[in-house]
Amino acid sequence: MLEVIDLTVAYGPVVALHGISLTVADSSITAVLGANGAGKTTLVRTISGLVRPRGGSVRLDGRDISRLAPEEIARLGVAHVPQGQGVLAELTVDENLRLGGLWRRDRKGQRGALAEAYELFPPLATRRHLAAFTLSGGERQMLSVGRALVARPRVLLLDEPSLGLARRALIQIMARIKALVAERGLTVLLIEQNARSALSVADEGIVLHLGKVVAQGRAQQLANEEGLRHAYLGY
Amino acid sequence: MNRFVVLTLNGLTQGAIYAAMALALVMIWRATQVINFAQGAMAMFTTYLALFAIDHGAPFWLGFTVALLSGFVLGGIVERVIVRPVESAPPLNVVILTLGLLLFLEALAPMAFGGQIRSFPPAFSIVGLRFGNAQIAFSPFDAFTLGGVLAVMILLLVLFQRTNLGLRMRASAFSPEVSRLLGIRVGRMLTLGWALASLVGALAGVLIAPSLLLYPTFMDQVLVFGFTGAVLGGLDSAAGAVVGGLLMGFALNYVGGYLGSDLETVGALVILIAVLMVRPRGLFSSQRLRQV
Repeated sequence: MLEVIDLTVAYGPVVALHGISLTVADSSITAVLGANGAGKTTLVRTISGLVRPRGGSVRLDGRDISRLAPEEIARLGVAHVPQGQGVLAELTVDENLRLGGLWRRDRKGQRGALAEAYELFPPLATRRHLAAFTLSGGERQMLSVGRALVARPRVLLLDEPSLGLARRALIQIMARIKALVAERGLTVLLIEQNARSALSVADEGIVLHLGKVVAQGRAQQLANEEGLRHAYLGY
Repeated sequence: MNRFVVLTLNGLTQGAIYAAMALALVMIWRATQVINFAQGAMAMFTTYLALFAIDHGAPFWLGFTVALLSGFVLGGIVERVIVRPVESAPPLNVVILTLGLLLFLEALAPMAFGGQIRSFPPAFSIVGLRFGNAQIAFSPFDAFTLGGVLAVMILLLVLFQRTNLGLRMRASAFSPEVSRLLGIRVGRMLTLGWALASLVGALAGVLIAPSLLLYPTFMDQVLVFGFTGAVLGGLDSAAGAVVGGLLMGFALNYVGGYLGSDLETVGALVILIAVLMVRPRGLFSSQRLRQV
């Protein structure tokens, strides 16, 4: 279980998150919605340790991880797919994927995980030995997500996976992630601009506005609240 | 023997040493975007340590090992103690710190080992090989120098391209943030990168000491020529560093041999300026590629 408790984050004098709290249950998907500048990316960057919070805590199964280094948080099974430039462009597709799970030191398991990633994203398999900068935007996004899955994470933080991805590929990725949620108890925090598609796959939803939580609840309920949709979700 | 052949053979051997120094600089540049101006002084110091061991009865090979190992350790310590604390400070800070380290080591060496010029015993004869009656300008020690540099380069290539450790190190150099998200302990990788680079620098020191004689500033010109070679090669390319270092070896010998030895250093600068005017990114830089 991933818990964010009264989290406050500031960049110098600019407060990005004002005492946010949320809980993501095991084996579930929580969508974080909101406009640009709402604090969505700051939230995931703080959970994965890239940003130090000013106050509050992040707990993974009850353990406070908010003061750990990002690499140690990753080694606890928290995989973060960063927005946009997440692939190591100079390395090959295969090297990028392998890097995902190197910390596990489990060669056999990793070979299986790698094969699964190629199976899930056939375009990557055909470009296995090409440098990642030769990939299209959508293929890079596949690589980024595939690499996170190779780590066989317990918690997956997805920051705008739809960016640059064709609709069909996005549906395919989300179907795979839903399967992992059901089969392996994966916990997912999904950041999205596109609220409609995010709420359609998520169990729970949370809406941020200027660093504060303005709505929280079952995804289905949020999707049905017309006022909320008009005010914050833009559809 | 034909003068051109002599100059070429000398250029090859010296170029191998400049290539090693250039490679050390490029490895550190790629890992931490720092030009380590103390690289030469560090190699000077580790060469003194090797001589110290040899003075106390150690055979050459033990001294050689002392140089490489102390280079490795010194590089790691420098990264942890001097570079790491100013990691997020403006880049000029670390440049000034490496210059400070250069001065410190060059002041420390005479105190620790005495200030007089010392000769360094070569492992093999420095007299040119004979083929029948003809003596050529290539000695067994030159062969050892070339072989040593080549062996270290091959080992590094295997490490970086064929092992998971090397993959982690490359990832850390390209993007520390993404690497950390992948569970890579980037700090350790950077320390290891500095340690390995400094080992390569130490190799250059111990290989050139027999022909240059040993004194506290003896590596300064090797650093300058190695740095020039690294810039010629594009600064971020290992292959470029090797080619650039070799080019410097040849160029300096041709300039010295045909135009007069007092023009060597000027010649090097002219080459550098000429190449950078035609190709400002250096011969091998992949900068343009990486901007895509």
